[in-house]
Amino acid sequence: MSNKLNVVLVAGLIACGVTLVNARYQARHLFIELERLTQASRQLDIDWAQLQLDQSTLGKNERIEQIARTNLNMMPLTPARTQYLTTEGAR
Amino acid sequence: MKRDKPFTTGRVAASKGMAFSKSPVLAVRLPDWRSRVMLFVLFAAFAALGLRALWLQGMSTQFLQKQGKSRYERTLELPATRGKIMDRNGQVLASSLPVKAVWAIPEDVLASPPEKLTALAGLLEMPEAELRKKLDSDRTFVYLKRQVEMDVIAKIEKLKISGLDTRKEYKRFYPQGEVMTHMVGFTNVEDVGQEGMELAQQKSLVGATGSRRVIKDRLGRIVEDLGFSRAPHDGKDLTLSVDSKLQYIAFTSVKNAVEKFNAQAGGAVVLDVQTGEVLAMANYPSYNPNDRRNLTGAQLRNRVITDTFEPGSTIKPVTVALGLETKRITPHTVFDTSPGFLMVTGKRIHDTHNYGVRDVGGIIQKSSNIGVVKISQLIPPQEMWEMYTKLGYGQAPRFGFPGPTAGRVRPWKSWKPIEYANMAFGHGLSVSLLQMARSYMIFARNGDIIPLSFVKVNEEPVGQQVISPKTAAQVRTMLESVVSPEGTASKAQVPGYRMGGKTGTAEKIVNGRYSRTDNIGYFVGIAPMSKPRFIIAVMIDNPRGALRTGGSVAAPTAADLAANALRAANVPPDSSVTDIIIPETPLEESL
Repeated sequence: MSNKLNVVLVAGLIACGVTLVNARYQARHLFIELERLTQASRQLDIDWAQLQLDQSTLGKNERIEQIARTNLNMMPLTPARTQYLTTEGAR
Repeated sequence: MKRDKPFTTGRVAASKGMAFSKSPVLAVRLPDWRSRVMLFVLFAAFAALGLRALWLQGMSTQFLQKQGKSRYERTLELPATRGKIMDRNGQVLASSLPVKAVWAIPEDVLASPPEKLTALAGLLEMPEAELRKKLDSDRTFVYLKRQVEMDVIAKIEKLKISGLDTRKEYKRFYPQGEVMTHMVGFTNVEDVGQEGMELAQQKSLVGATGSRRVIKDRLGRIVEDLGFSRAPHDGKDLTLSVDSKLQYIAFTSVKNAVEKFNAQAGGAVVLDVQTGEVLAMANYPSYNPNDRRNLTGAQLRNRVITDTFEPGSTIKPVTVALGLETKRITPHTVFDTSPGFLMVTGKRIHDTHNYGVRDVGGIIQKSSNIGVVKISQLIPPQEMWEMYTKLGYGQAPRFGFPGPTAGRVRPWKSWKPIEYANMAFGHGLSVSLLQMARSYMIFARNGDIIPLSFVKVNEEPVGQQVISPKTAAQVRTMLESVVSPEGTASKAQVPGYRMGGKTGTAEKIVNGRYSRTDNIGYFVGIAPMSKPRFIIAVMIDNPRGALRTGGSVAAPTAADLAANALRAANVPPDSSVTDIIIPETPLEESL
């Protein structure tokens, strides 16, 4: 009777040990993955900052005005050449 | 014969003695103390071991554990990024990106092949001689170049020069360049704010670097996190009150004016009437904050805030407002300004023309010094001084921006009659352009003044009432008449919009005296008059051309600025007048 119990307990112990090792292994892998993704998110933050900078540099009013004037031959709007519509007239 | 000699038959030693080895002579007699000493020594040795164990376990445990940890734990520095600075619409004005500093162990680097050094010098954008000069050093650590961008670093690493290494750091980029720099400022290589908002908000912009302890495996991967020893905090982002578009318009207007009128410098500021936000603050000459080599003081100077000048005629509406408010005058009170000069305690005050008899509106419209002096003579100096103080003249400003000047207003008790008379038309006291612009709040709003802000304001500030709404409206009407073909600011007219304002011209003080040749022209205006939205102040410092007064240099600059700003802000026109009439000989105010 006690022999059988011992066998069961030993088997249980070994199983426990194996799952523990496995769990530790999994945990490490997941942790490495987490680190990798954190790193990636930091890199994306940097990329985002870079893109915002690019947007601001390319969207500079100075640049837009120059392109509008020279490349597209545009001219600034003046009230003299503008027809204003009022909402009162529509009613 | 006797036969019995039993004892003489043969000799047997044994029978008489004992075995050799058992001979008592040979027996060693150990002294008793030796065993005791032995016992003691053994005991002492065990005791020493026990004590040592106790010592290691009890006393130096921490030290040993630390030593152990340092052999498998790694501490990672976690960098903190400096906060971004954005304009009111979220456009990035300043942002930090990771870069690297290149440093070297000179001895090792000099040992590498010369062609590699040539290539390195090329990549670092410095002459090879300079690179060699830097390497010619006894030190074991020399920075070759700081803030090198990542793509260059990649090329440098490809050279595989031994003794060359890099260190991570951040570089601040300013995409708007010279247009925005007087507002935003800049940081030094250590990421510390030096000018502008970078300096003013250094504490909240800068982050705190952190560190965390980890266990790394053979491949350098982090396998276990032992927690933060210090958690990193990134700097807070900052949203300014400035509007990139208006700032660009202001900067271009000032730049064009400085070039057109051959001036030494210029500045402009645009305020939001409702919130007190500074929408634009431009200076010329300016500089590119991304390349700060050869910076001069003139470029760095933020004239709008740090320079004081005598406000000249721009202060006249304040004098008039106080007269109206205290009911000493009404808009229809008339004053005789002839014959074009007035004697005050033996000193002569003069106008450019003899304007004859004028009402209060006419005095402002023509900018008559005599008229304003006559109004001021009805007001006690103390009341005038209190008015100046309420408007912030001579008061240390709390703009949340570095380097503002308080200007100078002397205590009223020391005012002599002639000085008081001079002050009524803006001489003998000094203010900054920003202070002057802010004081026009009382006219643009309904008589109250609100604090200025360089960061975006989310709720409307509470104002301090200085004059009644009725007085404010009366002065507004007068200011609008100044910006008409008959006024001194005829060139400040804006097609399609009603504009009001006041010009001013002051002689600069050079070596303690008024200069005959150097002057500053300015204009402080409100637009549009039907529902004030902006206060626009412009100053043109030392115009050297034919045109020199505020009405002829600053007023057209302000008109140009206002026209573009109103259009950019989608303000509906409030006037159907689109063809501007400027008289052939526009009226000029006196100096």
